Amino acid sequence: MLLSPELEVQNLKVSFSTPRGKRIAVNEISFQLNSGETLALVGESGCGKTVSALSILRLLQEPPAEYLSGKILFNGQDLLTLNAKALQDLRGRSISMIFQDPMTSLNPVMTVGEQIAETLIRHTPINRQEALQKSADLLHLVEFSSPKEKLNYYPHQLSGGMRQRVMIAIALACSPKILIADEPTTALDVLIQAQILELLENLKKETRMSILIITHDLGVVTEIAQRILVMYAGEIVESGPTQDLLENPFHPYTKGLIASVPKLGFQKKSGARLEEIPGNVPSLDQRPSGCPFHPRCVWSMEACKTQNPPLRQVETQRQVSCHLEPGSL
Amino acid sequence: MNTDKLLEVENLKKHFLPEKKFLEASSTPILALDGISFTLHKGETLGLVGESGCGKSTAARTMLRLIEPTSGKVRFCGTSLLELKETEMRNLRKEMQIIFQDPYSSVNPGRRIGHILQEPFEIHGFKNKKENIENATQLLEQVGLTSDYFTRYPHELSGGQLQRVGIARAIALNPKLIVADEPVSALDVSIQAQVINLLLNLKEELDISYLFISHDLGVVEYFCDRVAVMYLGKIVEIADSQQIYDSPQHPYTQALLNAIPRLGFGHIKQKTVLKGDIPVSAILPQGCAFQNRCPIKEKRCEETIPPLKEVAPNHHVACLLKH
Repeated sequence: MLLSPELEVQNLKVSFSTPRGKRIAVNEISFQLNSGETLALVGESGCGKTVSALSILRLLQEPPAEYLSGKILFNGQDLLTLNAKALQDLRGRSISMIFQDPMTSLNPVMTVGEQIAETLIRHTPINRQEALQKSADLLHLVEFSSPKEKLNYYPHQLSGGMRQRVMIAIALACSPKILIADEPTTALDVLIQAQILELLENLKKETRMSILIITHDLGVVTEIAQRILVMYAGEIVESGPTQDLLENPFHPYTKGLIASVPKLGFQKKSGARLEEIPGNVPSLDQRPSGCPFHPRCVWSMEACKTQNPPLRQVETQRQVSCHLEPGSL
Repeated sequence: MNTDKLLEVENLKKHFLPEKKFLEASSTPILALDGISFTLHKGETLGLVGESGCGKSTAARTMLRLIEPTSGKVRFCGTSLLELKETEMRNLRKEMQIIFQDPYSSVNPGRRIGHILQEPFEIHGFKNKKENIENATQLLEQVGLTSDYFTRYPHELSGGQLQRVGIARAIALNPKLIVADEPVSALDVSIQAQVINLLLNLKEELDISYLFISHDLGVVEYFCDRVAVMYLGKIVEIADSQQIYDSPQHPYTQALLNAIPRLGFGHIKQKTVLKGDIPVSAILPQGCAFQNRCPIKEKRCEETIPPLKEVAPNHHVACLLKH
């Protein structure tokens, strides 16, 4: 595969104004989304993964959000410098997004057909009739049976999985280069989750778009992503190809995260316990000094308390931010 | 395994009647719980799994009479619960407690943690204030929180810490049975393991039996001795954990196990993704409720509702093709 970056994020730093002062939610992260790849942004709640994704489309309300530094390069343009009009042209056309809860992202008083057509009419020179025809095609693409009939359905007449497929149809309406999926299957049951993941996989093959998927579920990542970025407390702490990173994690947090998931097929012996990461996910108010993970890290050393290790290249495709030598865990 | 029966559930049903629509003669009842039966033995952990809307939470709540069942029998240590008066039931609630999914909405946000933990004692007639405070403090320690938390309010705690408070409250009166309704689903991955380990430790220390409700089959395999799989208000398969996971019989159980994304280590699995959606339980098909999604459906499945039958020792399946 040719590794040309579709999207490049450089030193992105995002803060929020709170009554207690400015809090950094995303702290100088850099990554690139390669053309045709599925990249997963993994982390727990509050680690900044959703803020990073929303920043790409400038969907955060400013203020309280503020972009302190960084660049988001797409098509040779820095998205952080675009005006409102240019951003609206971009959203839904070149870069689309789907969200966790399809019910709250869809308009409850508009039919499914109108909602898909709306996007098409906004971005392409097309009349209403053609737009509705194309909407039916899109519903067919996301595997609806009798799509023509479903155009007239309202969101409440659809199940959770079907609503998420409508969201995907809207997102794909203008054949975007990039799809950002923020926890697309978290609100769905496992069987429906499997359907949606398979659908995304098939659509990617057909359209050759790049996908940035945000999730806390390492199982989902294994299914769909080629590469993983692990985030903790607003920073990327490790990145690498999925298989490699999961089999051989370099960062203590990644290792802990993998170990704390009960794995299917590993039956419990009596008295056996899951490995746990002690402590709690830090809130934005109480960001630890030095390496943000050190209070929960069993390998923590003196240096970890004061110096935040930079994200460094350790193998051709692997990066980690830890004072320890990779492979010494 | 100890064979003393702690909880016996027999043909338990709960039908909800939706509000009558305009000009409609009568509304169709929703069969949230359509006759389930099982036995929970002392010291055992039984997992109740299924997709949302399958009736697993309704099952838990009707058993404890937090909502009244439509019909059926529930016996706890031999006592028939559904015939008890409200006051007698309240007395028995000491023995059977529940932990909820969302720790924030299951505690009073206006009370300090210390108060929340004294409440069980106060409700059940322990009048000695000093002793209650001592007990509450000890409970905090038992669930791995320091006594600093005694004076804090729920909003000052993280989800994981607050779930520990929920657990502390449940074990306050030394119950025999704890119903845990998705106790870790709302928690972060790294916190889930902490809470699961805590529940396992308490089980050993206090000799508690759990009814563990979850949609996460990975967690259930780790936690439970026996598993019951529910689909649309019915148990479709029930067996020892190992049997369910090693040789699932019902096509629904097989599909569930197949659909779980696994942390893959080198193997790429061939998946069969089940098509279709869970039907609305008001308009169930005739015959087997699973037929519209079933990959091995036959003609007879449209006619007969499959009963739950033993296909191997202690392994019951409700599928005509497996009987």
